[in-house]
Amino acid sequence: MKIRAHGFFYLVLTIAAVIIVLKTLNWLPTIIQQDTIRRFGSVEEVRAKTKIRDLYIPSYFPQSIMWPPSEILAQTKPYPAVLMIFNAANKRDVALIISQAASEAFSAHAPIQFAQISRTVAYDLKGRKALLDVGACKNDEPCSRISWVEKDYTITLTMKSPPFELIRIAESMLH
Amino acid sequence: MYVAQSFCHSLIASVIMDQALRAWKIDSPAIRQRFRLTVVLFPVFSFPLYQLINPDRGSVLFRLDALFDVNRWLNIEIWGVIPLSVVFLSLLALTSLIFLFQELIPILRHSLESQAVEQEGVRRQSNSFVEHASQALSIGAPEVYLIEDDELIIFSTTGKNPAIFVSTGLSRALTADEMHAALAHEIAHIARSRRPLLLAAFFLRMVLFFNPITLVEFRRVVRNEEKICDDIAITLTRQPRALAEALKKFYATRNPPEPDVQQKPLFATVPLEEYSYNIQLDSRVARLEQHAPYTASGRWLLHIIAFLVVACVNYFVV
Repeated sequence: MKIRAHGFFYLVLTIAAVIIVLKTLNWLPTIIQQDTIRRFGSVEEVRAKTKIRDLYIPSYFPQSIMWPPSEILAQTKPYPAVLMIFNAANKRDVALIISQAASEAFSAHAPIQFAQISRTVAYDLKGRKALLDVGACKNDEPCSRISWVEKDYTITLTMKSPPFELIRIAESMLH
Repeated sequence: MYVAQSFCHSLIASVIMDQALRAWKIDSPAIRQRFRLTVVLFPVFSFPLYQLINPDRGSVLFRLDALFDVNRWLNIEIWGVIPLSVVFLSLLALTSLIFLFQELIPILRHSLESQAVEQEGVRRQSNSFVEHASQALSIGAPEVYLIEDDELIIFSTTGKNPAIFVSTGLSRALTADEMHAALAHEIAHIARSRRPLLLAAFFLRMVLFFNPITLVEFRRVVRNEEKICDDIAITLTRQPRALAEALKKFYATRNPPEPDVQQKPLFATVPLEEYSYNIQLDSRVARLEQHAPYTASGRWLLHIIAFLVVACVNYFVV
């Protein structure tokens, strides 16, 4: 019994050591290579600290969306990508996600997930060929997503709302 | 992604299982093998299982808050030119080659050669010890073949018609008790080869042929298998010393002669494979001489706890 209790204590120490080592190993690359994905405090900081010059930000926001973004992530290696997460104005739920990435491998839409896509249509977004998905998220909330290619980036907006506001936001990102 | 994550998952599983075995002072080869099989088998399924539980494990947000994101390391560029992923892939390629030349080809060769030996071997008359021992393990008695060779050789083939091959050199070198112990060890191999879990483990191990951790852990599983068969042989013969003596005779023939003092050290070294085989024989002899008790099962709760720890930690390793 004593051996077993001692064993449990030893195992807990091992787990703690494994977690500390993993956390340290996870942190080290951010020191070695500063261009990997990390959190930023503001859009200005992204502009100042990364080499990403073409940053697509909407000039229109509906009142239901809170500015500034609750989270901003950016990377330049292995490819440039920026992710902005916006909360709803009246609650802390994620309401809008904007991502721009130079690779289609960039997966960012965890907080807003489609439970069902009812329609996918091609949409002419100020002369760009965009793809618009309309459907429902969990709890049958209406959700919509639009994505198109702008220069080297694939831009994707996902929003917990019908597509009308989403299209206005997307259009306000283009000149 | 599967390749990189299965590597990380097996490395973490290996560390945790090793420490769990040490923490709970588990010496039984059968239980140790069960812990080690977790390291071999769990990473085969971990990635698809986790993705099934949470399809967002691959998303940027999950990765950012993960315990460890392997992509961070793989994307690092050495001198700003060579991605570390190239070095990682080279390691996997090397492991694949080792698997091919040290595991797959030798197994195929062994199976072909044993078929040839079966044709050449002289069939012995039925052996009452073999029949009695096989009955005790609830298997049909295997055929025993005598092959003309002065070397000390004994091996078994499994499958539909299992057989044991004994060289004339061995039958001369071992006493009757030692021969019974050696035969009992081979019968134990034949009996255990019928276990579906071990067969499944071998085929699933091949899925991760590229994984160096799996390579090492599977060898440990095989070493445990030898010790388990030693333990079963003892339960059949009740003579651990006879098996120890038989192993010592093998050890003596495999040990290289004293190196010539004139010889350069490089040429005097024992090949790595030979060295590890000798260490394995040595530790088996030591166990037999200590009369370690045979425990085939138990410690399931500890195994489940260790497995849950591995599964929980690895969930956050992407």
